[in-house]
Amino acid sequence: MHSEHFTNRQLTTLPDIDALTFSPLSPWYAKLNLLLNLSLFLFLLLITLVLTWQQWFSLPTLITSNLDNARFFLTLTAAVLPPYWYAADKRKGYALREHDLSYRSGLLFISTVTQPVLRIQHVELKRGPIERRAGLASLQVFSAGGAMHTFAIPGLPLATAKGIRRFILEHKDIVEND
Amino acid sequence: MTDNSAVHSPNSALHAWQKLPWIAIVYFSFHLLRQIFGQLIYLIPALLIGYSRLMENLPLTAAAGGVLLLVVVFISWLKFHFYRYRFSDDHLQIRSGVISKTHLDLPFHRIHNVKLEQPLFYRPGNHTCVLLDTAGSSKDEAKIFALPMQQALSLKSAILQQATTPTVEISADNHQPGNPSDTDEEVELNRRSIGDLIIHGVTSNRIWIFLGGLAPFFDNLFDWFADTLSTSGFDIQALLDPSHQPLWRVTLTLLTLVVTFVLLLTLFSVLGAIISFYGYRLSRLHDRYICRSGLFTRHEVSMKRSRLQMIVRRQDWLDRLIGRINLKLEQFNGNIEQGQATVMNNKIIVPSITHGECEALLKDIYADNQLNHIHYQAIDRRFLLRNMMYVGVLHSAVAILVSPQITAMLLTLLSLLVSCSLIYLRWKRWGFALDDHYVYIRKGLFGVDYYSFALSKIQQSKFRQSLWMKPYHLCSVTLVLACGGQSIPYINSHHGRQLINQGLFEVEAAKASWM
Repeated sequence: MHSEHFTNRQLTTLPDIDALTFSPLSPWYAKLNLLLNLSLFLFLLLITLVLTWQQWFSLPTLITSNLDNARFFLTLTAAVLPPYWYAADKRKGYALREHDLSYRSGLLFISTVTQPVLRIQHVELKRGPIERRAGLASLQVFSAGGAMHTFAIPGLPLATAKGIRRFILEHKDIVEND
Repeated sequence: MTDNSAVHSPNSALHAWQKLPWIAIVYFSFHLLRQIFGQLIYLIPALLIGYSRLMENLPLTAAAGGVLLLVVVFISWLKFHFYRYRFSDDHLQIRSGVISKTHLDLPFHRIHNVKLEQPLFYRPGNHTCVLLDTAGSSKDEAKIFALPMQQALSLKSAILQQATTPTVEISADNHQPGNPSDTDEEVELNRRSIGDLIIHGVTSNRIWIFLGGLAPFFDNLFDWFADTLSTSGFDIQALLDPSHQPLWRVTLTLLTLVVTFVLLLTLFSVLGAIISFYGYRLSRLHDRYICRSGLFTRHEVSMKRSRLQMIVRRQDWLDRLIGRINLKLEQFNGNIEQGQATVMNNKIIVPSITHGECEALLKDIYADNQLNHIHYQAIDRRFLLRNMMYVGVLHSAVAILVSPQITAMLLTLLSLLVSCSLIYLRWKRWGFALDDHYVYIRKGLFGVDYYSFALSKIQQSKFRQSLWMKPYHLCSVTLVLACGGQSIPYINSHHGRQLINQGLFEVEAAKASWM
């Protein structure tokens, strides 16, 4: 796919990161994440309910008197955070140019990481059990900048993730460096 | 300078598996003991509590210590016994491990740094420990724990020759008009005298960090100090009691105590500087910088110019007053991945040099670098506003909480003023500049630090902009290098994009090597 269109023109002008066109992640990614986040909050709410109704052991007053507050706080957070994360997930995107890979994320604080292919140390495809069922994959990109600056593009359709990985591994700069 | 014949000639003795010299057992034991005592730090409270019981059972304690020592020596012997190494013409192989066996096969061309370390106990036999850094992670670092010095120097020379021959690099250092580096002799670039090291000890005195660490023990320390003085005939508590002494005497006593304490700590700092940097010598052989120093353990760090990632010119407030500079040459730091604190080993630090010496070194390293002369652009005022707003909100909340108490309110106000002054200083220092090949960053608080790196060394870039920054055309930029990231906050987004675009262009179009 990507490698079929591969050319390696010499760059003579300064390309602008402002002109990047970002491709969205799989639409399933944001939906699945929303579902997971809501399930997590639901699970926490259920725990507070179980603690209220259970008869097996007595709880300290500090906990029992604050269970209503905890439920209120959890409901409020569940009403705000998962929709915010959903909107942020929908904004995530990647852009692949001839010589670099960019990843955009964030809703209020927008960040764009750009990784020149020449500087990539290695790439990894990661797939958790839910990602495997949904046919998704995360692409982790490692540079010599260290673990602090490793970034992952999540929620890519498997074929796309494999295509990007192949593009990187077959890239002339990487092959020459090896 | 060195005799290369041992490694260059087809020496069959070196091609066979070799054992380490016996002295390596001392090295292993020493390191094992250091590890054990490192862990014992966490047991210090328990040991302090049980101190009297340990003293009561002194023979048993001594026997336990003896057994521990025997175990350490036995483990060290096992490590020594199972360690084998051999060289081929361009490879080093190491077999090690007692239970878990490791076989390392390291081609010389992958080694990007050779460090020699000579602890005190290696000096009589003139042995040295050879550390070989690779461009991979620190897991790939190889160590030959003991080698006769002559053999180590030959090995180093052979490795460095292998590493220099295939380099056709288009890196920042190729932009410069060239250095007179083609002689086979090392060129001495800098030497530090004891006087310089004393200055370094004084200026780099980290007294406040030390005091911070001691904070929980202030009470105990003061009691111990007062007891010690009273046994010598000084009643410190009476001397510091304003009801028994005139105020001038109390003040004078307090001042004397503080100055003595600071002097004592400064003395420790000076001792530390002398131990680390004694006999400091920075030299260059071709395009490789070699730094040797150390009173007890002699360290030798060598760094190829193309492996240099960033120059840091550091001046604390005291350095600024007396006109001294600490110059740091940072290279690839594979240990970042492991989160290990061995960062020091990979850097070359030139301590407390004068402006002239700094200028000369910079000229030697990057002839076209303008670190000392370029005009730095300030970051936007909104950095100041944002941080002052955060601090203001926090202090307002505290003020509301403590509102009836005037003293607490005044203290909060004082804290607000100090915080705002610090933020102002931080903003005032922060600046950046860009030329055709280098990025320059200035930052600091009381002191000023200058950072400079070649655009071709950039590993990754990050452009950040919040919704509140966008209308004002502001952004924050992070440029990641192999020695870590450098961020510049609150700059004009046009400048931010220019930094990133020019950096990416330099990396992608010129295909510059970062190593």
